Amino acid sequence: MRMNRTILITLLLLLVQTSILPWLIPSGWSDRLLPHLPFVMTVFVALFGGRYKAFFFGLGFGLLEDILFYGELLGTYGFSLALIGYLIGLVGERKSHLLSFMLLAIGLGSLIMDSIVYFVYQLFKLTGDSYLFALYWQIVPTMLLHVAIALLLYLPARRKLSKPGSGEEKSAT
Amino acid sequence: MIGLILFVSLLGFSYGRTGLTWPERFVNDAVGTVQEALYRPVGAVSDFFRDLGRLSDVYEENEQLRQTVARYTQDKIRYNMIENENKRLQDELHFTERQKQLYDYRYLIAQVIASSSNPYDKTIKINLGSNDGIKPKMAVTTVDGLVGLVSTVSEFTSTVTPISELDSASADAISIAATVLGREDQSFGIVDYDKENKVLQMSKIDENDQVVEGDLIVTSGLGNVLPKGLIIGTVISNQVGDFGLTHTATIEPAAKFDHLNEVFVVVTSDVDAP
Repeated sequence: MRMNRTILITLLLLLVQTSILPWLIPSGWSDRLLPHLPFVMTVFVALFGGRYKAFFFGLGFGLLEDILFYGELLGTYGFSLALIGYLIGLVGERKSHLLSFMLLAIGLGSLIMDSIVYFVYQLFKLTGDSYLFALYWQIVPTMLLHVAIALLLYLPARRKLSKPGSGEEKSAT
Repeated sequence: MIGLILFVSLLGFSYGRTGLTWPERFVNDAVGTVQEALYRPVGAVSDFFRDLGRLSDVYEENEQLRQTVARYTQDKIRYNMIENENKRLQDELHFTERQKQLYDYRYLIAQVIASSSNPYDKTIKINLGSNDGIKPKMAVTTVDGLVGLVSTVSEFTSTVTPISELDSASADAISIAATVLGREDQSFGIVDYDKENKVLQMSKIDENDQVVEGDLIVTSGLGNVLPKGLIIGTVISNQVGDFGLTHTATIEPAAKFDHLNEVFVVVTSDVDAP
């Protein structure tokens, strides 16, 4: 795992997410499709680089995103991204790097991340929506978008970011 | 486990805070510079393609604008007369300096540089900060109407909470005192956002108060949070409220909250400062 390069690319992706993606999403869908590119990268780091790297990677970028868009609370994304990076790293250690496993990890991770964020805001009584509404309105559409973005980024990420040979070593052990 | 405790305490600590420490301000400003360089060109390209699609409407729009300008010129003449009259009357009645400057607003043009992807905490960032005299709780509008309030400020950028986040069910609700344009002294209501139906609601309207469909709702300036006379939206319907004592009107917001490009920050003259 080439961490320096990964961090640089994720910073760029974060800028793309905050400044370019809002223009690409049609205006009726702007509060339903809310992609998090650092989340997708965290899952990649968890799969290619292991759980400890993914934990700190998710923590760092989650907190960065929290600070950049500080509305009410600080730390929701820091917490959820770190947790998801660690969990996916933990589960992914024994699996080979299959595309289907990556898609499953992205899908489930996206559901868990948005649910954690929802429940944190619910806990602090900052949102009045019911969970079913949030699920239908935002969480599921965003999950589908995350899966699509992950499919787009998967091949370049695997080619450029993982060190040659490291993938085979891991699947062999 | 320790991580969980740390995070809950961080969440609790950061809740309801308005100031920013210097690392937060630094990160905001550093990233904000690059975001600005990206957001504006992309916005321009996107606007260009949208305009291409609307090219056929241009003639009609031009005609409408011409009529509006003609009406505006007449109104401007009337306004100047009334303003002079008003000044003379204020002088005769010995208004204090504070009262005279109360409704003297300045509009600062700001560029939007980024928008967040947090579904329960949607914020946008603008490229004006405390260096330009921005303070928390200032109103932010577009040419269409009220968009939101400035929530946090760093040196060169600040964060804006849209009025679509002012949910009355949540603990952080800020209520907007509103009134009907043209009947400012008769109508009064409190506006907040209804997330599930994507409309604004104006509640606590007096039952003798005739708020009807098509009325233009503006901020009343009462309560001193927001300036007076910013457009909020138009009334769609009006029905009896929850307890049967007051009426609740549904309002279509005048401003859109996504694909924002240019916004105005309303600066009130700081008469209360020592």
